Amino acid sequence: MATSFKQIEENLKTEAGKLLDAGKVSMVLAYGRGYDEKHPLPYVARSLADVDGMVFNEYCTANLARYLVRYPRGTKIGIAAKAADSRAVIQLIQEDKVKRDDLVILGIPVYGMKNAKTDEAIDAKTTCGLYNPVIYDVLLGEEVHGQPVLSPYEVLEKVEAMGQDERFAFWKKELDRCIRCYACRKACPMCYCDPCFIDQNKPKWGEKSPETGGNLMYHLTRFHHLAGRCIDCGECSRACPVDIPLYLFHKKVAKECEEMFGQAAGMSIDEKPALINFRVEDSDKILE
Amino acid sequence: MLKKTTVQKLSDLAAGLMEKGALIAPVREEAGHNFREISDPAAVDLDFYNTLLSPKSVFFPHTEDFIRYKTGASIAEAVCVEPDIRPTVLFGVRPCDVKSFEIMDIHFTGTGKVDPYWAKRREAATIFGYAFDPNTPADPADFYSTLGIGAADPEGSDVFMIRKDQDLLLQAVSPKGEKLLSELPSLSDASADDQKYFDGTVAAGRTFKTRFTCVEAEPIAKKFEDLFHNAAFWEKVSEACLSCGACTFVCPTCYCFDICDETLFSQGTRRRVWDSCMFTDFTLEASGHNPRTKVYQRLRQKISHKYSYHIRKYGPISCVGCGRCTRNCPVNIDIFSIVNEAMKA
Ligand code: SF4
Ligand code: SF4
Ligand code: SF4
Ligand code: SF4
Repeated sequence: MATSFKQIEENLKTEAGKLLDAGKVSMVLAYGRGYDEKHPLPYVARSLADVDGMVFNEYCTANLARYLVRYPRGTKIGIAAKAADSRAVIQLIQEDKVKRDDLVILGIPVYGMKNAKTDEAIDAKTTCGLYNPVIYDVLLGEEVHGQPVLSPYEVLEKVEAMGQDERFAFWKKELDRCIRCYACRKACPMCYCDPCFIDQNKPKWGEKSPETGGNLMYHLTRFHHLAGRCIDCGECSRACPVDIPLYLFHKKVAKECEEMFGQAAGMSIDEKPALINFRVEDSDKILE
Repeated sequence: MLKKTTVQKLSDLAAGLMEKGALIAPVREEAGHNFREISDPAAVDLDFYNTLLSPKSVFFPHTEDFIRYKTGASIAEAVCVEPDIRPTVLFGVRPCDVKSFEIMDIHFTGTGKVDPYWAKRREAATIFGYAFDPNTPADPADFYSTLGIGAADPEGSDVFMIRKDQDLLLQAVSPKGEKLLSELPSLSDASADDQKYFDGTVAAGRTFKTRFTCVEAEPIAKKFEDLFHNAAFWEKVSEACLSCGACTFVCPTCYCFDICDETLFSQGTRRRVWDSCMFTDFTLEASGHNPRTKVYQRLRQKISHKYSYHIRKYGPISCVGCGRCTRNCPVNIDIFSIVNEAMKA
């Protein structure tokens, strides 16, 4: 039996309160009240008084790791992290964007999160589907036992069965719908480049107008910049106002990466990111 | 004279309208309904709450070509792109969105400098407004009643439509609408009962409550002026903001654009493309200086523009409470709550 959302919320408040009270962190990244129950907001508590404003329910889907790089290096931060979010924390540590010692990770073991827009359960179809945080200092509930029913790559079956032309047509159709609001990259914990390549105009990598050329340039490049780094939280796709299934592409790249290098992003703090690490025995498939 | 048809015969009405010009109407798409040009009259779908994207793109497309040129060639060879202006019927627009056109008119035609692209498209369009159903509660993100907009206000439309169960009642509001309605054979005359229902709904729409807070233009403009230097307030309300462009791109009253030269091989196009004050490079100057490097400065700009600068310069608040920004914000930032908090600050 998994810990209830209400209980996790209580535990979150207690642990966050302790951390702030003892001065172990200067802020805790968590969730707070939004305009209604279904729409909680990422929230920062800086004092004991702020802790009361925290909430946790099935709609607290945002990946808070996205905010870590926003604060000056060295800031002591407590962060509430569900399974995929904790993988993002690991990946950011691997990439030296944040130091392990500066973080207190409040791990949230959970299943049954829901997408507020569709009310669908969030599972291995659109995310990695893990239940328990991979890394944490305090666990805010009991570990969820059992394995996810789906592998995170099962959803790829349909795209993988497509021939090259069909696949291109599929992606062209999907990406043609993009309005270039950049919510996907801004919601992504791994998209911290400033400036992002697509915003540069010297050289100019891609057009600004939401048409096939620029859209393909933006997305295909972004997909590849996320190779071996995307931790499959699904946040980009949930952020997208026009519901482009970006997760399908990210999952495909992640799967290939895992097959080639035998490691998934953000699963172990001792590893180097797959594309940064060189090992003699690495697969050469990428060159074929 | 009030006309009527049924929802079942909507495609006949749509087909009739397509004979008058391009028909742009709500169709069901992957993530929700959107206004699209109709090629199959059966695709028009009035079973929607409100469209995902606002109808502003009908008059102010995301991308608009101005000039075509060849790189390396003489400027004399560059050609102006004539905008594609056709008689258009814009069908099924909610009252808050109809109101947004009036606000956008200020910028595109009302300041003395007329934007011919907007103006000509506006002129060529006949707008069929479509009442929210006052018997269905408003979406929790909406707050148009705060801005004095009714759920069934016919003002600003050429024809206004109210759904009565399986019937669709259509009332001409402007002479343009009157003329068009009289030319549609698929419509029949409505009864006195229908008229009563129509008038009753318009009246009920005026007291229909979405989320509500009392906002008066002058005091709120002043409030945001006073809050400008209150970085703590802005940092707090923008703490979750990702600084993306979702809220501004879906907004019916955001009108910022960039002028871009886009070239493919040697064929160049000078075009305007929507831009967003929430983008980091929106205020990036050629020198490299950026006056708004922080997220809170950008969110402050977005909200103060709508709720303060706009009032000072042009009178009305530049927001119609359609709720799109709130519904589409990936982290659930809600402009209504921020305005509310500002009033209490
Ligand atoms: S690319 Fe998408 S799924 Fe992958 S880490 Fe970024 S937001 Fe998460
Ligand atoms: S969030 Fe969706 S619409 Fe916005 S840039 Fe990304 S893919 Fe395009
Ligand atoms: S308010 Fe929401 S939609 Fe707007 S820029 Fe911030 S995160 Fe993006
Ligand atoms: S600011 Fe938000 S509520 Fe106001 S008009 Fe724009 S999208 Fe609608």
